[in-house]
Amino acid sequence: MPKVHDRVLLALFSLGIAVVFFGGFLNNAPNRLAMGVAYPLSQAPALEAAAAMTGLCGLGLLSFARRRKLRSFATILAAALILWGSLAGAGHFAALLMKAGPPAARASLGPAFWTLASVAILAIVDAVQRGNFSFPARLCIGAAFCPGFFLMAAAGDFDSLSLAREFWNNRGIFVSELLHHLELVCAAILFALMIGVPLTVLVMRKKAAAGFVFASLGILQTIPSIALFGVLIAPMSRLSELLPLLRGLGISGTGPAPAVLALTLYALLPLVRGFYTGFSEVAMEVKDAAAAIGFGWRRLFIEVELPLALPALISGLRVVTIQAIGLASVAALIGAGGLGTFIFQGIGQYALDLVLVGAIPVILLALLANFIFEMLLGLARRNL
Amino acid sequence: MIELCNVSKSFAAATPAVSDFSLKIESGAFFVLIGPSGCGKSTVLRMINAMILPDKGQIEVHGQDIRETEPEKLRRGIGYVIQSAGLFPHWTAADNILAVPRLLKWSPSKSAARLAALVAMLRIDPALLKRYPKQLSGGQQQRIGVARALAADPDIILMDEPFAALDPVSRGELQQEISGIHARSGKTIVFVTHDMDEALLLATGMAVMNNGRLIQAGAPASILLAPADDFVRDFLGGEALQLRLLDLVPVRKLMKPGKTGATGTIAAEASLKTALNLMLASRRMSLCVADESGARLGEIHLSDIVARRDAR
Repeated sequence: MPKVHDRVLLALFSLGIAVVFFGGFLNNAPNRLAMGVAYPLSQAPALEAAAAMTGLCGLGLLSFARRRKLRSFATILAAALILWGSLAGAGHFAALLMKAGPPAARASLGPAFWTLASVAILAIVDAVQRGNFSFPARLCIGAAFCPGFFLMAAAGDFDSLSLAREFWNNRGIFVSELLHHLELVCAAILFALMIGVPLTVLVMRKKAAAGFVFASLGILQTIPSIALFGVLIAPMSRLSELLPLLRGLGISGTGPAPAVLALTLYALLPLVRGFYTGFSEVAMEVKDAAAAIGFGWRRLFIEVELPLALPALISGLRVVTIQAIGLASVAALIGAGGLGTFIFQGIGQYALDLVLVGAIPVILLALLANFIFEMLLGLARRNL
Repeated sequence: MIELCNVSKSFAAATPAVSDFSLKIESGAFFVLIGPSGCGKSTVLRMINAMILPDKGQIEVHGQDIRETEPEKLRRGIGYVIQSAGLFPHWTAADNILAVPRLLKWSPSKSAARLAALVAMLRIDPALLKRYPKQLSGGQQQRIGVARALAADPDIILMDEPFAALDPVSRGELQQEISGIHARSGKTIVFVTHDMDEALLLATGMAVMNNGRLIQAGAPASILLAPADDFVRDFLGGEALQLRLLDLVPVRKLMKPGKTGATGTIAAEASLKTALNLMLASRRMSLCVADESGARLGEIHLSDIVARRDAR
């Protein structure tokens, strides 16, 4: 019995095999509303299906490979094969089905596709981590996959998939909604910092106030997001009625203003708590020694406390940013726009692929934010 | 010179941390504040560089009331060493050492020259200078901490149990280092400890504290010979007090010119305790005394140690 050296790969392989055999790869429906027929991977074009299966079995075999560096490289190659096989397989399969079906027919991606794609991505992430690749190497690996995907998209490989069609139908407003989304997030973080920094100073200075501040922010955090967005409509519209100046700034009961306010309120607790923890954890004796050899309070803050607290501050900002990116989707409900627009339209029209047009970029944005903050964190921790 | 007059300080607790404390520390003294934990010795130390402000009383450094000087300016002129070293974790050892010169805006060439001098004085391995504190052992960290305190060449150095957390070897080395620096430079050192052996090894002057009050101050020998009360006697070591006294007297003082043919050899500057230890170890009643070059100076006898007069 050969020894298993990578349990993660074996688990991913087993998951992939199970879903490929029991789950549909592509769903074909005569129109958006009708129930479709699920086709398994075995009926997809042979070359692509074979590539995906070869890659998947490769992962299974690689879990027995002993040499770590070699295993990492081979895993990335096998995962690339799976990705290509499932992407091209789905695209070409959809094109075949569409040619035969009515014009309103829809080919949407099934569980087997999503599982294969996730298995491939998880395998790559795991391989990169285990292989101890340097940061530039990681960047190159990530970058190598993007042109591949865009080349396939440019070649029209995905044109028959309903996800691509939904995207294509909304291409005009997609970029503006994406920017809207980013604007909401950035504005909320900016306001959260403007309120959060003085609050942090307050709780650091007056320990008595800390309990009250954290309790109030904690209560805010427990309000369900949809409820908070809704609750803000009434007071905000009243405010804009009373104060023409605010109305002039475009502030009203619905739209971006209450959305930014809600996102700001949600950001406050993790932000203030992260900042508070960061500054509290700077060792007392270091601050003491600094003061005792003649650092004034300003120098002490800039040269000692700030650099030592920086990793915790960045971690706090990371949590807040990722949370805001996700929550901003809900803002579409009160007319604030953003990627949530597609999600709620999709739910309303029972067009799940339209939901994905909103959801996938939200996930990618969150991953990108995470990646950027990881990088900053690495820089801040360099000498600690 | 450091002078504290009727200084009192209370924190939130019911009993004051320091009450009606008066003390004069002469320039060039190696002055040890000693007492059980919580007796207020660290509070006294921290009041000298205005880290803690007294509720009552007055503190003068170099004849000037410390309240008249800006605290930052005062502290830059007083070295400070704490138990855990308190080095800046995000700065290299060299940057840590040069913290005060940087605050004082010294020129790079002056700082570099001072760094070289300190590295030589404290026998710091130059390879350590590029390292960060977490890459150093406790002893190395405290060596850097002492160098940081000495960096701007202050007249006064405050040390708050600086060697208490170190292993015995590092502690011994650093005690030798600081004792040597004091002897050569004539700086005033105020040193807080609860370790009587450390105090007797280093002190030229000593103050015993309890419950925020000064119990007895003076030269170590005079305190050992005439403890003011039972507390001081117990704190000095109770039964072991006689042995501690032996530590303060060099062999030279009880040496006799006799030539009875004693065999084991001991240095003239070694303490009586070392001599007694050597006698016990080698089962001899007398030892031959030699100077640094090894030339025979005389003899020392067990009976003279037992019968010496200062013990009573």
